[in-house]
Amino acid sequence: MNIAVQHATGKKANKLQSTRIAGKLVNDYWEMVWRAKEEGKLICWYEGSAINPFLEAAGICWVHGEAYSAMLAARHQEAKAQQVAEERGYMRELCSYARTHLGCAVSNQRLRGDGAGAAPDDDDLTWKLPAPDMIISAYAYCSTGQQWDEMTSRIFGKKVPIFNVSIPWIWGSKPDSGYLQGQEWEETSDYVTRQLHEMIAFIEKQTGKPYPWDRLYELMADIKRASELRLEAMDLCTAQPAPASFFDWVVSIAPINNLPVAGVKDYFETVLAEVKARVASGEGAVPDERYRLFFDGIMNWNKVGWLANKFANYDAAVIAGRYTHMAFWQEPNLIDPNAPVRGMAQNFLICPNNHSSPILIKLIMDLCRKFEVDGMVIHASRTCRAFTNPQFLIAETAHRELGIPTSMFEGDVTDESFYKDEILNSRVEAMLEAIDSRRIAGAA
Amino acid sequence: MDRQDIIGRFAEAAQDPLGYAKAWKARTGRQVIGSFPMNFPGELAHAAGALPMILQESDEAITVGHGVLFPFYCGYTRSMVDQAARGRFEVLDAIMFGDHCVQLLGMADAIRMKLPGTRVIFFQLISSMNDPWTQGRSEESFAKLRQELEEFLGRPVEDAVIRESTRLFNSNRRLLRRLYEMRKEGTAPLTSVEMQHIVKSSMIMDKAEHTALAEKLVAGFENGTAAPSRGLRLHLSGHFCQAPKPELLAMIEECGVTVVGDDLFHGFRYISTDVPEEGDPIAALARWYMDRNTGVPCPTRVQNNVDWDAFLLKAMREERADGMIVLMAKFCEPHMYYYPEVKEAFEKADMPHLLIETEHEGMALESLKTRVETFVEIVKRREAALA
Repeated sequence: MNIAVQHATGKKANKLQSTRIAGKLVNDYWEMVWRAKEEGKLICWYEGSAINPFLEAAGICWVHGEAYSAMLAARHQEAKAQQVAEERGYMRELCSYARTHLGCAVSNQRLRGDGAGAAPDDDDLTWKLPAPDMIISAYAYCSTGQQWDEMTSRIFGKKVPIFNVSIPWIWGSKPDSGYLQGQEWEETSDYVTRQLHEMIAFIEKQTGKPYPWDRLYELMADIKRASELRLEAMDLCTAQPAPASFFDWVVSIAPINNLPVAGVKDYFETVLAEVKARVASGEGAVPDERYRLFFDGIMNWNKVGWLANKFANYDAAVIAGRYTHMAFWQEPNLIDPNAPVRGMAQNFLICPNNHSSPILIKLIMDLCRKFEVDGMVIHASRTCRAFTNPQFLIAETAHRELGIPTSMFEGDVTDESFYKDEILNSRVEAMLEAIDSRRIAGAA
Repeated sequence: MDRQDIIGRFAEAAQDPLGYAKAWKARTGRQVIGSFPMNFPGELAHAAGALPMILQESDEAITVGHGVLFPFYCGYTRSMVDQAARGRFEVLDAIMFGDHCVQLLGMADAIRMKLPGTRVIFFQLISSMNDPWTQGRSEESFAKLRQELEEFLGRPVEDAVIRESTRLFNSNRRLLRRLYEMRKEGTAPLTSVEMQHIVKSSMIMDKAEHTALAEKLVAGFENGTAAPSRGLRLHLSGHFCQAPKPELLAMIEECGVTVVGDDLFHGFRYISTDVPEEGDPIAALARWYMDRNTGVPCPTRVQNNVDWDAFLLKAMREERADGMIVLMAKFCEPHMYYYPEVKEAFEKADMPHLLIETEHEGMALESLKTRVETFVEIVKRREAALA
């Protein structure tokens, strides 16, 4: 089979050069986190929604649980945290983001908290995550988020103050329901906005200072602009060949989602300039673009580069995805920098999973049409049911409405043991052959 | 009708819930409203003149459901989509639910897509239980559910009728709690399977019919003589949305064990708390929702000032239980999150417990039996050493 022959040629992804800057920004951020206690900063642990601008404005060091777990996985240092978690009784079928992060919390308590453990090793990133002074839970859709935060609080002996923001799922069953519209949308927007204002009061209590609103306005103006730049660059990938891939946008998640705001706008300006230059010169994200694919599912953080190269080797440009294109301040127009809270609440409400299937699937189909994809690869992440919930329905709809083939593979967000390389190879090869067959049939 | 006849009637409904609903519908000509566990107030649907029933995991092997949800989902959610995809829910006029569990949401979404002709009504109950706005938000959720129910049925559901339904449901719960008391005292030596039939059927049957039978059953046990416990006294914990398989419960008791208490959803958890009968009925339901979690804490909710592990240890002292068996439905995330807290608390309290993970697809009962027998033996030796 011709695809298998190509497999041996070893083509690699033509990654955006500018994403290297993201790597430096990420490293600088974690160094800042690891120094935070020494610098006398308050530390807040949070999961899910990007509440970090609220914290950054107040001078609080923020640690996003998923980001820490993803960082460990990307550096292939996640196993120890997962082992510590398992020793305490957390089972393998639990969200591996949570398991990894809870393992850090357990490790932290053992080595710092009660002094009963072994001497800590400064290179051990499991232990190195500084303990929280407060926890804020603001998780859309997935019930795991709130329970994860609650268990974190219990690991720290319930001594760390915790604040919960409840973000309802948008069921969308009324005639006026739709994306960003309808009574349910307005009501849930108001409800989350009210809670975010309560959260500000909680932050004020922790810092003992009035909340610096002007600082938040400045940060949100920058985030809004960074988001616009990111979306503009993503939109340019309708070009053929696509100048950037889903994997470039994966690498760009941290800057838009949880890095210090200073530098983020510049980062996306650089990215946009490079994407524009590639469009102008016809340079693609893969050396020979023959297939254009949509990626449904969350990222397999142990395998970002691996998967980017694998698809490049198949001449498949993975152009867009639910994870990258339907999340992370993806509706900047909702944000009024001078009164940003409601717009922030609304961006939290439209995380890629927080709309029920009729709305969610329509958005995905629209993206597939926009980027003119030939097929869809679906990552069934074993412990992230928030992403896997609608995947059979998405596949069915893609077949029915778009007439494109889909291919599913099993993996996970940060637990490498669930990933089966040969299953992915055979299924993706089969899908690409199906695309070839359709093209031949169409040309005949 | 003697005791066994009554339990037999309960068992029939528990074993064939949809069959019961079909017969009820044919008999009454009224609507059947299914709900997903664990916090939907059946009182509302009952007040509207419908039969509220909590939809149950089926014993059938999952077939077409595999094409809707992945195999790494709990047995309840996979069984529900399987039943929906096979057309088993034809008897239902609507489905209502308010609980927030990520697998349950995925299941509900799939069921709505698979059953376009069935109205699926949802309004998410807040799961953070001790916020200043929890009561108010819960009231909003129940008011929305009531409003949608009224829209669906095309008629109002009056406050006075909700209060009547509340009284009936409370009396049913009280009767079943009385059975739990008598089981603990030894005057109602009901097996775990019988207790499951009694509670599970109360999730399904017409409440007045169930209550009338329960009254007779309770009366038959009142003033009885306390029989001595047979073997070890154990508490059964866990298993939320789906009922543990009867053969598993029977196997545990065959190992020389008397189950004296539980916090299973198809057990004490379901009947633990009454709805206030006075005042605004929607506010009362919200109060009930919050009281349930302080009464029998649930790992599907978060409440920093309530500890499930402490509740379990207290319950065991009151039940004079010698140990606990934890039944965990495979892939149940809330339970997996909370279990290490329970494990640590039990280890600290030097209280023995055994964890059994259960599966929809059937379990190797003989191998589990060896584990339970070993656990029983360990607890007995421990008790003997302490004596």
